[in-house]
Amino acid sequence: MIRRAFISASAFAIFYGLTVVPASAETPAQRGFAVFQQVCSACHGMEHVHYGDLTALDISSDTLRKWAADQDFPDGVDDNGDPKTRHGTLSDPILAPYPNAAVGRLANHGLLPPDLSRLAMTLPGGAHGIRNILLSYAPTPPGVKLDEGRYYNTALKWKHIGMPPPLQDNMLTYADGTRATTNQMASDVSVFLDRIAHPHALQRRRIGVFVLAYLAVMAVLTFLLQRRIWKS
Amino acid sequence: MAQSETPPSPDGTKRRDLLATGTLALGCAGACALAVPFLESLKNPAASFQSGGMLDVDLSSLAPGQDMTVQWRDWPVFIQRRTHEMLAALQKPTHLATLRDADSKIRQQPVDAANWHRSVRPDYGVLIGICTHLGCVPSFEKPGSTPGATGGYFCPCHGSHFDAAGRVTQRAPAPYNLPVPPVTFLSDTKIRIGRSAGEPGFSMSDIQQI
Amino acid sequence: MPAPTRKPAPSSNWLDRRFPIRTLLHREYVTFPMPRNLNALWSFGAFLIVTIGFLIASGLFLAINYTPDIAQAFASVEAIDRQVPSGWFLRSLHMGGVTMLFACLYIHLGRGLWYGSYKAPRELLWLTGLGLMLMVMITAFAGYVLPWGQMSYWGATVIVNAMRAVPLFGRPVSELLLGGEGLGNIALHRLFVLHFAMAFAILGAIGVHVATLHVVKSNNPSGIDPATPRQTLPFHPYYTSRDAFALCLFLMVYAGLVFFLPDLLTLADNYVQANPLVTPRDIRPEWYFAPFYAILRAVPSRLSGLFLACGSLAVLFVLPALDRSPVRPATLRPLVRLSLPLAFLSFILLGIAGMHPPTETWLIVSRFAMAWWFIHFLVVMPLASEREITS
Repeated sequence: MIRRAFISASAFAIFYGLTVVPASAETPAQRGFAVFQQVCSACHGMEHVHYGDLTALDISSDTLRKWAADQDFPDGVDDNGDPKTRHGTLSDPILAPYPNAAVGRLANHGLLPPDLSRLAMTLPGGAHGIRNILLSYAPTPPGVKLDEGRYYNTALKWKHIGMPPPLQDNMLTYADGTRATTNQMASDVSVFLDRIAHPHALQRRRIGVFVLAYLAVMAVLTFLLQRRIWKS
Repeated sequence: MAQSETPPSPDGTKRRDLLATGTLALGCAGACALAVPFLESLKNPAASFQSGGMLDVDLSSLAPGQDMTVQWRDWPVFIQRRTHEMLAALQKPTHLATLRDADSKIRQQPVDAANWHRSVRPDYGVLIGICTHLGCVPSFEKPGSTPGATGGYFCPCHGSHFDAAGRVTQRAPAPYNLPVPPVTFLSDTKIRIGRSAGEPGFSMSDIQQI
Repeated sequence: MPAPTRKPAPSSNWLDRRFPIRTLLHREYVTFPMPRNLNALWSFGAFLIVTIGFLIASGLFLAINYTPDIAQAFASVEAIDRQVPSGWFLRSLHMGGVTMLFACLYIHLGRGLWYGSYKAPRELLWLTGLGLMLMVMITAFAGYVLPWGQMSYWGATVIVNAMRAVPLFGRPVSELLLGGEGLGNIALHRLFVLHFAMAFAILGAIGVHVATLHVVKSNNPSGIDPATPRQTLPFHPYYTSRDAFALCLFLMVYAGLVFFLPDLLTLADNYVQANPLVTPRDIRPEWYFAPFYAILRAVPSRLSGLFLACGSLAVLFVLPALDRSPVRPATLRPLVRLSLPLAFLSFILLGIAGMHPPTETWLIVSRFAMAWWFIHFLVVMPLASEREITS
């Protein structure tokens, strides 16, 4: 009962962008970022998202700056005409590790790992669909023959997917000490991707509350005004 | 509500005026608030993440008396290697008397370039090649290319003259000396533009005018 | 608020003697005589003007950040949503604005039909309004292509191919317009220019529409124009205050859409970049084009489908000629009072059908709805004006 009250209170707080969660605990989106950084980003990118954009999820800009600096970006050619690279900055996009789509296909049995910028919006079922896929891997039943590089997954219509099962229990350590079960990671990363697919969603709702309140006050005032005018 | 049923009286008119004025004022305030996101969208999206870009330049191919131009943060940066004659010309009292700000008193450079040669080392000059008058790019006058040319800069737009250290002459329309970017010598022939060894906290926004 | 609250300037006013703007505004927006009995439906014109204002303002600021190039268009829209400060707000204002615009437009139009606002002496007012609606539709179509998502691309492809089906001049005209066979870079750039230019053309057309209104004055629910000044009220403060109140309620709905339900009416597939090799599974238009799309689909022949979809709008243009009855409001005409709501229902059913996959049921529904739409305008209206006994 108390626990449920706490959960709904923190859900309310998150909804309106207030943080009542203790500073040491990480939000699901922050944990989901850890999963993305350490697992998903091995194959997937979010090409429309810049490293700096993730500060909106309360991820420290130092972490992001360090991560960006680990990535190399093409930077024209040097005096000999050879391609140069530079370290990434916060205003660089989070790209997939492949230099182009053809290499990405070659590395993944002919299927290109999709970009995750808007996946939680465009995938049927949204963020829940992502979580569902991550948790629906199963051993291939006898009698089912899958092509190489396809994995049995009950969440999909055709019961298989090109992505090898990405999550295993305790494959990473959360900074806040939450146990990294497959279930936990799948939930966290789907929350993270949901936030990515709906940029500025919290800010949007927070401002929306003020705008509606303002308009409601204006509606009352103009209503009184027009009633007084029409009375006379 | 009872109050609105009162017939128009001096009292009623007053209250109505208050209501009308209040509604109008609140409406105007709302319109102003609405303008904020519109104006905000005109800001540079990357500005909040702008990191000081660094540029390493190899100077080994630069002969005395020559100059080169590199691009750093969308600005043209002039790098010149000075000859003994150029250095001597910079210190001539008759020359100093013609300058607006001979001692670099105005903040157009990091501290380690606020000297008579306006650079970290006397034999190399590094300047941002944007005229402080109206922003044209001056051209280099190679020493000896014309009689009296001592390796200064001449702005084609309105005829401002700068000496080899980027100091503006009194007769020029440009008000300030050419800005000096922060420079660190990595070796004798290699510099890094973007960080000043003599004044690590220096940023280009400290400069009076670019 | 267009109306200044000050008293008319004395004729000695310097500006007024040279350019009588204050006298004009005073006459047209302060003392302008309005019928006493207008209902809430008469506020939708004001909503439309405000929405157009929001659309043009947000559109200008979006255009600053948009790149009309097939390689960068999608990314530039993503950047507006993510990186441009307040870009998400401007874009939602623009997208939500289109929905509000069409919603108000259809209600405004429906009110005109119900209260007979298209009859003498307001035929020109009616025609300029319909012209405006066509312009808004063209602008909305061009604008929807700009984000270069899957729905943008395939929606445009379907429309362009429908246009090509027009015999004789369909093909050459579409080629001139799009600068080639397919939808490519040239087409995108031209649609951007078209979208941008149309916005201001619409502004001009609104000027004509409102000027016409100020000549013939507003219709009213009774359908009898006020005969004496005693039967009218000055526009200000009576209708300005009422419109202001209505506007607040309207803006609350608009804000709800922008801030709380930004994805309610957008198709998720448009957040996938256009891919000329893959057609999205269930392709459908934005809701405001759904009725016409349903007609297009309900007819088995491509050319007839196009003809009927255009015809469903064309009947509105000839309506003043079809309905010769001098009685304006449908409330006073037993036959129209029955038939017109069914026509409204048909339009809504067509809209719902257009948003669904073309199953047998929906095809039948759209065919019946379409049939009634045409029967109402082409059969019932002329018949009613001949035979009807009005109360």
